[in-house]
Amino acid sequence: MNGQTAPFHTLEIRDLSVRAGGMEILAGISADIRCGEVTALIGPNGAGKTTLLLAILGLVPFTGEIRFCRAEEHGKGTPRIGYVPQRMDLDRNAPMTVLDFFALSSQKYPVFLGRSRKSRAEAKSALDRGGAGHLIDRPLGRLSGGEMQRILLALALRDNPDILLLDEPVSGVDVSGEELFCDFLDQIHRESSFSLLLVSHDLSVVTRHADRVICLNRSIVCQGATTEVLTPENLSAMYGSGARLFSHGEADGHGHLHGERRG
Amino acid sequence: MDFLLSLVYSAMDRLLPLAFAEPTFMKRAILAVLFVAPAAAAVGVPLVQFRMAFFSDAIGHSAFTGVALGVILGIHPLLTMVAFGLFVAYAITMVKGRTGLSPDTVIGVFFSTAIALGIAIISARKGLTRNLQEYLYGDLLAISGAEVIWMAALFLGVAVYLFFAFNRILLLGVHEGFARSLGVRGRMLEISFSLVVALVVTTAIRAVGILLVTALLVVPAAAARNVARGAAEAFWIAIAVSLASGIAGIAASYHLDTATGATIVLFASAFFALTAAFRLARGDVS
Repeated sequence: MNGQTAPFHTLEIRDLSVRAGGMEILAGISADIRCGEVTALIGPNGAGKTTLLLAILGLVPFTGEIRFCRAEEHGKGTPRIGYVPQRMDLDRNAPMTVLDFFALSSQKYPVFLGRSRKSRAEAKSALDRGGAGHLIDRPLGRLSGGEMQRILLALALRDNPDILLLDEPVSGVDVSGEELFCDFLDQIHRESSFSLLLVSHDLSVVTRHADRVICLNRSIVCQGATTEVLTPENLSAMYGSGARLFSHGEADGHGHLHGERRG
Repeated sequence: MDFLLSLVYSAMDRLLPLAFAEPTFMKRAILAVLFVAPAAAAVGVPLVQFRMAFFSDAIGHSAFTGVALGVILGIHPLLTMVAFGLFVAYAITMVKGRTGLSPDTVIGVFFSTAIALGIAIISARKGLTRNLQEYLYGDLLAISGAEVIWMAALFLGVAVYLFFAFNRILLLGVHEGFARSLGVRGRMLEISFSLVVALVVTTAIRAVGILLVTALLVVPAAAARNVARGAAEAFWIAIAVSLASGIAGIAASYHLDTATGATIVLFASAFFALTAAFRLARGDVS
């Protein structure tokens, strides 16, 4: 997972600021998110992590610049951005199966006229990649949190994104589901070379999976290689003086940030 | 146009040799229901997904003011009703997008403002109340041939719109950011959908009235939700419920001498009760 060997493209963020309701939510953000690397975005609640993702997606107005520098090998045009949101507040009664959900974005004609064989085959192969093929005919509202995340990830990966944004990918998922999810991510990330930007509260996930870390608290506190950035000094600067990383000897085998509410 | 309609009427005589369908006004009513009910139910499916029932209610009630405006301006109230409905729909969607206030707050503000304006106009112009009666309760049996043709055009328009936009609207209803990341242009779609809803609502008012118009959109879709597992199923069940309650409502109101619009809505509600019972019997409670 080294950015130097893969064809090089970058998402360049320069002096990005987001204001809403007279409040500065993000100020002076400059960062590069490189292809083939996993960049983790960490910071306390309200630090603006999700807002930064939304700015990259073009969903919130911002000042500054977000540039996508594309290597020629990756073709031309605007980058494809895959996005897996933190939560999906879908009511449990929504009459929609996983296949419907896939067909909504792949099929030219409306799903009420049926779903094409092609939609089904595409959905099946995308789901199989994530080990979720058996869920294809299940109602979307009846999936567990972990299953839903796999569906969303499979759908985000279906169109071979240049950049994949994951907002709290392991929140609301049990420990074994979390392991599976992370291993799956590692695997697909090795196979294809997209930039992965991952918002996480879970520092054990970050230390194990991220190449680079951006610490955010309305502005950038620090950024760099994971091992250089995750120092006690930086963590306490960001989360407050009580913060420390639990050792890996904890009961659930994961490091969580003390005093931080998860999810 | 009249020739076309009389052709349709004579075809109906052969296809529907029933006593209640014999008078021409009944034929017009049946045609109106065949066009408006499925259009309303089809739009209702994504509307319910979007939790926009209150929005549709607000557009329906704004029609009250639209009619009053038409009368004092000397324009046909049907035209001002549709135009004002479209205006309110656009205004709500824009203000909601710009301010970031919650939908029900913005709708609540526009809802009461529109009604207040309507009441102010009506109270200043005595004698207006008579015109409003037929809009409040609907008057399916008084629909003109021109209106039937307008309803047919609306039916076609809604079919074309949904053919191209249905998938994206449903996707947007699941999660806005996620839909946007898949290339759905959220703002444009939201505005176009709210305008289509406004057109359907203001047209359907002629059939079931201001007070009941939301039922025509919401109840069939709600009944479908009780039993459908997939999106296609939900869509067609909603349409079937709307057509069945439309025809049954007209027939029953003819024999029982009840208000047609209300009778149609009662049949739709019966379908909702039936599907809800079916669902409970299936043990599906969550």
